[in-house]
Amino acid sequence: MEQLAVRVEGLVINYGSFVAVDNLSFTVKNGEIYGLLGPNGAGKTSTIKVLVGVLEPRSGKVEIFNTPLSDEVAVKSQIGYVPEEVVLLDSLTPREFLEFVASIRRLEAGVANSRIERLTSAFELKQYFDTPIAALSMGNKQKVAIVAALMHEPRLLILDEPLIGLDARSSKILKELITFHAKKGGPVIFSTHIMEVAEKLCTRVGIINKGRIVGEGTVDDLRKLVKSAEGSLEDIFLKVTEQEAGMQEIVKALEEE
Amino acid sequence: MWRLSSKIYKEVSFQSIFSLRVGSPLPQRGKRDVRQLVRSAGMNTLISKLITTAFIGIFGSIVFLPLTVNFPVSGTSRELTVVGSVSAFLAVVLFLIVFMGLQVSTAFVSSKVVEILSPLPLSKRDISNIIFLCFTRIFDIPLITAIAVFLAAYLLVGGSILGGLIALAAIVTAEVFALTLTIGSARFFYTRVARGGGGSRWQTLLRFAFMLVWVLPTFAAYVAVNFAGEIVRSFASLTQSFSSLLQILSLVFPFSWGFLVSYATFLRGIDQFILVLSAVSSIGYVALAYYCLKWVTGTVRKMGAGGIVAGLRELVKDTLIIPQVPWLGIIRKDLRVASRAPSYASLFLLPAMQTVILAISFSSISEVGLSAALGILMGISMITLLLPPTLLSIEGLASSYTRSLPMKKRTLISAKTLLSTVTYVISLIVLLIVASYLGRDFSYILTFGAIHGLAIAAAIMLELIILTNKFWTEGFAVGNIYSRLSIYILIFIPGFAVVLVPMIATIAAFFLAEQLVLPVFLAVASAEFALMSAVVIREK
Repeated sequence: MEQLAVRVEGLVINYGSFVAVDNLSFTVKNGEIYGLLGPNGAGKTSTIKVLVGVLEPRSGKVEIFNTPLSDEVAVKSQIGYVPEEVVLLDSLTPREFLEFVASIRRLEAGVANSRIERLTSAFELKQYFDTPIAALSMGNKQKVAIVAALMHEPRLLILDEPLIGLDARSSKILKELITFHAKKGGPVIFSTHIMEVAEKLCTRVGIINKGRIVGEGTVDDLRKLVKSAEGSLEDIFLKVTEQEAGMQEIVKALEEE
Repeated sequence: MWRLSSKIYKEVSFQSIFSLRVGSPLPQRGKRDVRQLVRSAGMNTLISKLITTAFIGIFGSIVFLPLTVNFPVSGTSRELTVVGSVSAFLAVVLFLIVFMGLQVSTAFVSSKVVEILSPLPLSKRDISNIIFLCFTRIFDIPLITAIAVFLAAYLLVGGSILGGLIALAAIVTAEVFALTLTIGSARFFYTRVARGGGGSRWQTLLRFAFMLVWVLPTFAAYVAVNFAGEIVRSFASLTQSFSSLLQILSLVFPFSWGFLVSYATFLRGIDQFILVLSAVSSIGYVALAYYCLKWVTGTVRKMGAGGIVAGLRELVKDTLIIPQVPWLGIIRKDLRVASRAPSYASLFLLPAMQTVILAISFSSISEVGLSAALGILMGISMITLLLPPTLLSIEGLASSYTRSLPMKKRTLISAKTLLSTVTYVISLIVLLIVASYLGRDFSYILTFGAIHGLAIAAAIMLELIILTNKFWTEGFAVGNIYSRLSIYILIFIPGFAVVLVPMIATIAAFFLAEQLVLPVFLAVASAEFALMSAVVIREK
C-alpha cells in the first residue's frame, strides 16, 4: 500500500460562529504535489494553518506521516512552511531570524550554514542578510521565509501562495525546487491562485469552495468532472466553484461604465 | 483634514500599543475582538495622555502650593525657592512629555502612517499637513495642561504680568525642547538603531546604550515627582551656600528661566549680574527653541513626504549563522527584539531602577533589618513579575509563523524564566553597587535577596505556565496580553502569592524561633522552585 504523507478527515475550522472549513477531507501521497485551490475566503489558508500547527481546529483528524497533530513537535519538525502573509520578526535581520529558526530546529551549524549559503545564493538574498526584515521588499521577505522553510530539508513542504512577490528568476527556482523535492519522494501541499502554475506544477489538485472540497483529482479527472474535454484549469475552477455564471455580464457592465 | 488626521492618529496609537505588523495574528480573531483591540489601543493612548497630564497637575501643585503659605521656608529665600520651583516644573514637563511621546513616536516615525496615506489622491503637501496634525494630537492635552497649570500656579503664588509672560515663554520653550528630544530620539532610534542592521558589535552596543536613554526620562520624571519638595528646598539652600553656583546655573536651562521669572515676580533678591546672564541665556534658549520648532515641523512634514525611512545596508561578508540550543536561541531572539523596541527594553531596566529608588529611600536607615529587607525585596519582585507577560508577548510578533516551529512549551517557559530571573539578579547587583556607594551594610538584604531569587523564579514559572497554557493554541497575540487587564490579574495574584509565601514563613519563624529565619526562608523558596521546575519539566 502506498504510504500517505498527509491524511485530513472531517476537518472543521470555525471563527466564532463563522465556519471557515466544513468537514474537509483529503489525502496527499509521498512524491505528490497537491494543489489546494479555491476563491478568496474558501478556507485554504485556514486548512494549511491547521496542518502546520498554527491554528486549532474545532474537530477532525489530521495525521502527518502517520503522526497525529497532537504530537506537535514531532510533526512540526518534518514540515517546511511558507505562510501566505509573510509575518516574520520584522526587527531582526535575516541572519538573526534564521539563527533563531535554526536554534529551535536544533540544526548543526555546519549543516545549516551550507544550506543557507546555497539557498541565499540561489535566491540572491545574500546582500540583504544584515538588513532588518522590516526594511526588505515583500519579495525579499518571501525569500527569507522560503530559506527558513527549506534550510532543514523538511520531508513535507507546505507552501501557501509562495510565489507572491517573487521575481521571475526566484519563482522559477522555487518551482524547480518543488519539483525536485517531489521527484525525491517528498510530498508538497501548494496553495495558489495562479491556475497556470497549478496546472503545470501539481500532480493533483483539490478545489475548495465555502470550506468544502468541490472537486479533486488530476486536471484530466476534473475535466471529466465538468464534462469538458479541453477546458483549462481556470475554466474548470470557475465552473466547480460556481463563479462562471454571470461573469461575462459583469465584465461587460464594467467595460460599459 | 483634522478628521483624517484623527484616523491616522488612531492607527499610530494602535501600532504603538500592539506593535502589530501586516497580517499578524489578527486574522485568527473575530471581528468583535479586533474592535475591542482598536478601542483598547485608543483608550490606552488616552490614559497615557491623562496620566501625564495628571502628573503635570500634581507636580505643579506640589512645587508651587507651598509658596502660597509659610514663607520663608526654613531660612531659604523666597526668590530662590521660586527659581527652584519654576526650574523643577519645567524639567518635569520636559521629561514627562518626552517619556510619553517616546512610546508613541517610534510608530509615528516608522513612516507606516505614510504608507496608509500615499495611495490616496492627496498631494504631498496635504499628506504633510495631515501628518503634522496627527503629531500635534499625540501631545495636545499634556501641552495645553502644562501651560495652563504653570500659568495658573504662577499667578496663584502672586506673580506679576511680566512674570506671567516670561513664564509663558519658559513653558513654551520647555515644550518645544521636549518635542525636539522626542522626535529626535525616535528618529534616531528608528533610522540608526531599529533599522540599522544588527550584525556588528557596535550596533549591539548602540542598541543597549539606547535602551538606557529610553528609560532615563522615566527615571528622571519619577525622581522629580517623588522628591519634588526636597529638590526645591535643596536647590534653594545649596545655591544660598554657594553663590558661584548661581552664576553657572543662570546659564543653564531651565534655571535661567527660573531666575528671570523670580526677578519679574519680586523685582529684587537676584544679583544684577546673574539677572543679565539668565536674560541673555534665556534669549538664547528662545532662539534655540525657534530653531528646534522649525526642525520638528520640518522633520514631521518630511515624514509626510516619506523622507525619513532610512535603513542602513551593511556590507555582508558571509551568511554564517551560529545556531544555539533552543532555549538560548529564544533568549537571544528576545534580547534582539527588545533592544529594538523601547517598550520592551524599558521593562528590562525597570527592576534595576526600582532597586536604586528603593535603596535610596532606605539609605537613611543605618541598619537594614528583616522587615526593611523583606519590604525592599517585595518591591523588586512586584516589578520583576511584570516582565514575564511582556516577554511572552514577544512571541506574538510573528506567531502566525513561529507557531509552526517545533518549539516545546517547557523550552519557551525555561527561556523566559531564565531571562526574567536574570533581570532580578541584575537588580541585586545594582543594589550591591548602591550599598557600596552609600557605605551601608546591605548584607542582610543581599543574602535574603539571593535566596529569594528561587521564589521569584518559581513565581515567574507559574505565571508563564498559566499564560502559555492559555495562549498556546490561541496564539500569543500581543493584543491578547496587553488589552486584557484580567490576564494581568489572573497571573499576578498567584505569582505574587508564590513570592510572599517564603516571606510569611520567615516572619512566622521570626516570632517562633528567630535562629531559624534564614533556614526557613531558604527551605520554602527552594521547595517552591523545585515544585515549579517539576511542573515545567512535565510541559510538552
